[in-house]
Amino acid sequence: MDLTYSPEDEDFRRELRSWLDTSLPTEMRQPAFWADKSEDEQFAVRRQWEADKAEAGFAGILWPTEYGGRGGTPTMKAVYDEEMVKANAPATVNPLGLTFLAPTVMMMGTEEQKRDIIRPLLHNEVIWCQGFSEPGAGSDLAALSMRAERQGEEYVLNGQKIWTTNATHGDKIFTLARTGAPEGSKRHAGISMLLVDMDQPGIEARPLKQMSGASEFGEVFFTDATCPVTEVLGGEGNGWATAMLLLSFERGSSAISQYTEFRKMWDEVAKAAAATDRDGRPAAEDPVLRQALASSLVELECLKYHSWHILTQTSQGRDLGFEASMTKLMWAETFRDLSDVYSDVVGPEFQVAGNPGISRQELTTMALWSRSCTIWGGSSEVQRNVVAERVLGLPR
Amino acid sequence: MYFALTDEQRALQDAVRSYLRDRFGPQQVRAVYEDPAGDADPAELWKAFGEQGWLAVLVPEEHDGIGLGLLDAAVLARAFGAGTVPGPWLGTVLAGEALRLAGSAEQQAAWLPRIAAGEVKGAVALHRPGSTPVPANAPATASGGTLSGSLALVEYAGVADVLVVAATDEQGAAGLYLVDPAAQGVTVTRLEALDRTTRTSHVQLDGAAAERLEGSSDAVLQSLLDRGAVLVANDLVGIARKALTDTVEYDKTRVQFGRPVGSFQAIKHNLADLHVGVTMAEHAAWFAAFAMDTDDPDVDAAVSIAKAKASDVARQATSDMIQYHGGIGYTWEHDAHFYFKRAKRLEYAFGDATQHRERIARLVLDRVSAERSLSFGEAGAQGGQAGVGMASAAQGTGVAAGAT
Repeated sequence: MDLTYSPEDEDFRRELRSWLDTSLPTEMRQPAFWADKSEDEQFAVRRQWEADKAEAGFAGILWPTEYGGRGGTPTMKAVYDEEMVKANAPATVNPLGLTFLAPTVMMMGTEEQKRDIIRPLLHNEVIWCQGFSEPGAGSDLAALSMRAERQGEEYVLNGQKIWTTNATHGDKIFTLARTGAPEGSKRHAGISMLLVDMDQPGIEARPLKQMSGASEFGEVFFTDATCPVTEVLGGEGNGWATAMLLLSFERGSSAISQYTEFRKMWDEVAKAAAATDRDGRPAAEDPVLRQALASSLVELECLKYHSWHILTQTSQGRDLGFEASMTKLMWAETFRDLSDVYSDVVGPEFQVAGNPGISRQELTTMALWSRSCTIWGGSSEVQRNVVAERVLGLPR
Repeated sequence: MYFALTDEQRALQDAVRSYLRDRFGPQQVRAVYEDPAGDADPAELWKAFGEQGWLAVLVPEEHDGIGLGLLDAAVLARAFGAGTVPGPWLGTVLAGEALRLAGSAEQQAAWLPRIAAGEVKGAVALHRPGSTPVPANAPATASGGTLSGSLALVEYAGVADVLVVAATDEQGAAGLYLVDPAAQGVTVTRLEALDRTTRTSHVQLDGAAAERLEGSSDAVLQSLLDRGAVLVANDLVGIARKALTDTVEYDKTRVQFGRPVGSFQAIKHNLADLHVGVTMAEHAAWFAAFAMDTDDPDVDAAVSIAKAKASDVARQATSDMIQYHGGIGYTWEHDAHFYFKRAKRLEYAFGDATQHRERIARLVLDRVSAERSLSFGEAGAQGGQAGVGMASAAQGTGVAAGAT
């Protein structure tokens, strides 16, 4: 075992830190900076900051330089993930493009697609949405019904997508549609992944308000929307395999950023426990809460060890495959449990945490957000099926 | 960045697994179970421990050992857990560690080469069982070169050539002492333990002659307690993985309602969660050993994380093993109870999950909450940035994927 990073990785860390020192203003690292801005204003600031970051060479760490990436290693990507969270840097506004589309294009795209998609995405010139789920196709994604009919050199798309992150900010959407008929009982056949321009009369995006009050996602309606027949990723009729590959890209070194983020939250919950009165003593001295907080920390630290495991595997060029489901299940459940420990710590104050003088707004926002993480990207129940069937080999 | 066993450690793992598969499998374990009057210390097995170097692993080379680290010993402990292997390996290895860490040159020369060769067996009594494993809970008192005290639940005291006992002296300082089990003032009374892959005794010390390990200190005793916790955590993880694997295999083929029972989601989802839990415990138990070997700044918390997680997971895995085998899992004829009973014993050895979580709270919670910055609360009062602070991968992807 060797848990140190290479000198090259540490050089990269120093370079990134020094760029962050000068290019990420202190006020931007504080929640107060964002508080008086609307969601659209926040998005615009983040979009520009991230574009500047790409300009400085800190984008697409793993992607080849010829496509605008940094040409780095998995461990450099882990260093990047860790440092960004530690610095309280704004999260990317292009997560679907960065995390899902870019690696899929790198593996399945044509040379032209690699050139046309990666660099503009890294520089936030194109914000990508993902059009997978439909009102009738959630966990059962293969039940999707959006149609794309070929008319000459165009597909004409009709249908509806839902839970679309950045729906109202998106420039383009990679979307699954039926370009052919299912072959008998083979529902996975006849699906293609199309790359569609969202700025056209046939597309209408509407925001959806979430239980947190924010509108990070929305729904997208396609009414005779069009895209050129050349705008297919992974080949016509091969959309299911392309989508499955795309969804597997949650793995890689991202577990380290989840750990870093949740561990920061745990530290804040610990401070809240010290500041909260429980029977005349700090809640942090309550033996039952101490057990709960320690239990949560055990899971978090295990997530850190697991991120080292993932990094070791990916650094050696191994494919984690269905093990990625275990990682998702682990972090999403750990995060949700931590949010319950937080509400146990503050108790009835949880209801009014947004008020001046009491406020733990950020913790409360995360506690609500954690409720979505066990659903999106494959619910915990779907992940358990994957782990049981594909990792343990239990029968369907 | 390399968080995995080295090739040498893998070779060691293969060697111990193949020995157990060929020479000391479930049949041999069962023979020990069916011989309650015996000493649960099969001569052939002990001979192999010595010949294969499994007792020499932590003994320095200058004392005829191999001089490896706790991670290498953890590889062995994990394999012994998976095989529910009997014998005084742990007590002997920890006695060796006590001598290595605190013994004088003479004491080391007198014992370590013989420990490495398997010529002597050891047993340890380092804290009062059930109490938190800290020096303050030493089970005996020392006075004028003798020890007194009632040592509960000492494993393999009946076959040991030397006892290593933690005791508090008249000045209130904890120390480690060597006691000859055959000496005057030592009474060993055997108890029947549920787990028959060990032998447990009550040891009464009444002014028994004892030899202090010269380098004894609270720090050494704590380190020894932690080493015990790490090796036991690895044994538990070995048990848990084996219990899960056997259960999965059984539920693939056991048919009820016309289908393999492993196809039912009530079982599948639990086993999936268990696989996640066991995997995490495996990571934690390796890291704790590595942290001891490298004096990691977080080593204390790492040890407790490993022991807490391994204890909980082994309990769950061995309980599920019985449950998901149905009636056959509750029989004496099935091996499930070997795992369950061993896990139950080790869950409480060197501190249970609750005690280790309290230690984690002391080490981490009390430190973090002391920092108690008010700035967070003030900043939060301004409203906060909904979801923006989240890592990129945690930002909604807006898809519920039917990845199956």
